[in-house]
Amino acid sequence: MNKSIKYLISIIGLLAIFALAACGGNSDEGTEKDTEGTNEKVSEGSGELVVYSSRNEKFMEPLLDKFEEESGITVNLLSGKDEIINKVKEEGKNAHGDILISNDIGALEHLRQNDFLQGYEAEGIESIDEKYRAEDNSWYGLSARTRVLMYNKDEITEEEMPKTIAELADDKWKDQFGITRGGNGSMVAHVSALRNEWGDEKTLEWLKDIKNNAAIITDGHGDLRRAVGAGEVKMALVNNYYYHQQLDEPTDNNVGVVYPDQGEDEMGAFVNAAGVGFINHAPNEENAKAFLDWVMKPENQREFSYASMEVPINPDIDPVEEAAKITDYKVSDMPLRDLGDVWEDTRELIEESGLDLEIGS
Amino acid sequence: MSNHKKSKHTNNRKKVEGTVSSAFSRFKNSLKQKRYGGILLLIGLITSLFMSVPLIYVVVRSFFAGKDRWLKLLDGRIPELLWNTLSLTAAVTFTSVLLGVTLAWIVQRTDLPGRHIWSWVLALPLVIPPYVGAVAYLIVLGPTGWVRDIWDKYAFLPGEFSFDIYTFWGVYLVLTLFTYPYVYLIVSAAMRRLNRNFEEVARSQGMNMWQVFWKVNVPLLRPAIGAGAILIALYVISDFGAIAMLRYMTFTSAIYYQMGSYDNLSATVLSVVLIAITLLILWGESRVQRKGDYTQSASGAASKPKEIPLGKWKIATISFLSFIFFIAVALPVIVLIYWSVIGFQEGALDSKFWIYAFNSLKVSGLAALISMILALPIVYLKSRYPSVLSKIIDKLSYSGYALPGVIVALGIIFVFNNTPLYNTFFLIVIAFIIRFLPQAMQAQEASLSLVSPRIDEAAQSLGQPPWKIMFTVILPSILPGIMAGGALVFVSSIKELPATLLLRPPGYDTMAIRIWVEASEALYHLAAPHALFIILFSIIPLRYMLKIHK
Repeated sequence: MNKSIKYLISIIGLLAIFALAACGGNSDEGTEKDTEGTNEKVSEGSGELVVYSSRNEKFMEPLLDKFEEESGITVNLLSGKDEIINKVKEEGKNAHGDILISNDIGALEHLRQNDFLQGYEAEGIESIDEKYRAEDNSWYGLSARTRVLMYNKDEITEEEMPKTIAELADDKWKDQFGITRGGNGSMVAHVSALRNEWGDEKTLEWLKDIKNNAAIITDGHGDLRRAVGAGEVKMALVNNYYYHQQLDEPTDNNVGVVYPDQGEDEMGAFVNAAGVGFINHAPNEENAKAFLDWVMKPENQREFSYASMEVPINPDIDPVEEAAKITDYKVSDMPLRDLGDVWEDTRELIEESGLDLEIGS
Repeated sequence: MSNHKKSKHTNNRKKVEGTVSSAFSRFKNSLKQKRYGGILLLIGLITSLFMSVPLIYVVVRSFFAGKDRWLKLLDGRIPELLWNTLSLTAAVTFTSVLLGVTLAWIVQRTDLPGRHIWSWVLALPLVIPPYVGAVAYLIVLGPTGWVRDIWDKYAFLPGEFSFDIYTFWGVYLVLTLFTYPYVYLIVSAAMRRLNRNFEEVARSQGMNMWQVFWKVNVPLLRPAIGAGAILIALYVISDFGAIAMLRYMTFTSAIYYQMGSYDNLSATVLSVVLIAITLLILWGESRVQRKGDYTQSASGAASKPKEIPLGKWKIATISFLSFIFFIAVALPVIVLIYWSVIGFQEGALDSKFWIYAFNSLKVSGLAALISMILALPIVYLKSRYPSVLSKIIDKLSYSGYALPGVIVALGIIFVFNNTPLYNTFFLIVIAFIIRFLPQAMQAQEASLSLVSPRIDEAAQSLGQPPWKIMFTVILPSILPGIMAGGALVFVSSIKELPATLLLRPPGYDTMAIRIWVEASEALYHLAAPHALFIILFSIIPLRYMLKIHK
């Protein structure tokens, strides 16, 4: 046996012991749990809370860490994109998640309509306008997200910018802007709103045109704001807080924002909300209720929207510094709840346009 | 009349029963005669079924996708994906083969200074997973990358920096740089074994260097080049991380997004097409290998052959090799170290970092351990009790190896959806085993082929059952091979991205997942430490890999 083999064996041996120890520790537990710490801590709650989230993980971490600390409940977060919504549907009665956090009210309402959420009267739910919560309070919105055109001031002036969303379909803007792929949750909701305003035919045309016109199509909005900041494209269709985030960057931050469709007879900017939902058949029901009550506290509502620089839906809570208040501009009058009815159809329409999977330049 | 019919019918039935029972007794006899290895056979059979069921299930489910869904995909999506996937695969494979063979030839046949160092240095890109390479190249060549900054700073560089990494060419560059070592290693090994007499004869007949290379070396190397090319082609069609990070779309990434946003049934349709492409590539390989049956007398290079003097090309050659080393190893590592240092300063090495590292080690270590154990009966049966059944077991065990992780994950989700294992880290371990068990098998086979069957026979004559022989006699003598196989599985597992991404339970992140998440948010200082960690671990089996290719 030569030296390198001996070296290998010792490493593998160590790893094997390590692996055995690791799974031995877990098999006692049955399910996966980090009991360390929580056992010793004497506090009101115990056990775990499984949070499914289609929201950027960095936005969620401060909030969930705070909850973990204050309640003594271990939070297990599964953070992804819209596949999380499908995961909830797939698990159905065999649910593994307790709380769903989504960036799209349409998705939450769609789940509620199909019995994937359960109602709960959280303490302090009145602080949220009825427009922004479910009939049975199984979900409620906490922060507003407005669809805006963000631009790079070195590349284009505010006067030159398109003033409406419809204009992006114009040849004039060919290869000058960026959008996310059609499967992105914010994009889906936005398209739903456009269908409501324009009808399917015009919306489909528009989708096909912007697919052709877009200089870049990305998976998410983080890439878009960076692309605009870097001057890779002149502008991009994003949610308002991405503009605030880019302003905060140490470099590439010479960006501006246009709230579209502000004219007299125009539809106004489209506002969606991010919120929390209570998953039906949740395995840790009591902990989920504790979370839903906890997050309604004003300080926690603030935490929910501030990490991403979104605007709180509760008017008693001030928005972050750079953000325009929701009352400062004209917003589309479509009730957010209606997004749930069209959630699936919209996806089919997007699929038809070919924008759903498209990524690239 | 009816009676007659009836009796005929019973007659027939008797006949059928007769043939069945005789076939059965024949089968039983043959079992006794040929010795199938008893309980080991059963274990092997269960393992191989376990390995193939998720994939079979994907194919079966695709038939339930419905005609409409098939037609829609065949009509709209598939042609474009086919073009994207095949053009990329062809381009990367071609370039990697060119690069790999060139480098192997330079190192093996010329009087290059420092050949021994070069011979392993040029294999180093293998330890950098392509998605980590993609992160490094995004930092260097991306729209806000280093090159752009340098370009804009110095006026003498013309115009604006305009290379767009988010294109075919970006993906092509990254995949080529980090996959060529497969060809390089295999061809180098083959070149070392080539009988030098052929080359000497050719040269004595007045052929020049190029003629010798094309007429003597290339035909003899064809199996090695083919094997390397297959590895690269299979890698490109199954890669998810690098392709998704560079915003390209192939079948594999489309299946991933399809699973995310729409439905698993469309994903099964795309998977079936991808499986077909994979089988086509494997079939093509088996044909090439069969056609080129070149045998040569072993160890013909008794005399130390003459090296081809580089002469005036020496500087150019060394510059070329240094350039390749720089862009495929030095640059990515420098980039990652740079960002890791920034990460460390901002406290990236917090407790969470170690939890992620621990999670990675746990699933990979477990997968390696189980693979080492499961591979043993299969390999032992194949070598000592060869039969149709043991051959089938062997082939079935390879079903997950050539296929992309996304398809394996899709199959596992189908099979384990309503079991208690769902949403536990064991699903990740299962995915790793299905994907990488053949690596453990190959390493054990290599070791076992050196152990004489006489030893087994001696033990048998003492009346020991096969499983006992395997454990008490064979296991100790092939231990190095088992360990090496485990190391290979471990490293492949720790690098794996797509299946981990699709199967991870809530609150369970590994290093590979953190690289993916942080890099997609352009938080390179958080991604880089994990990337460095994975590279460090990947160095472990490299020594072994260099050895088997010698």
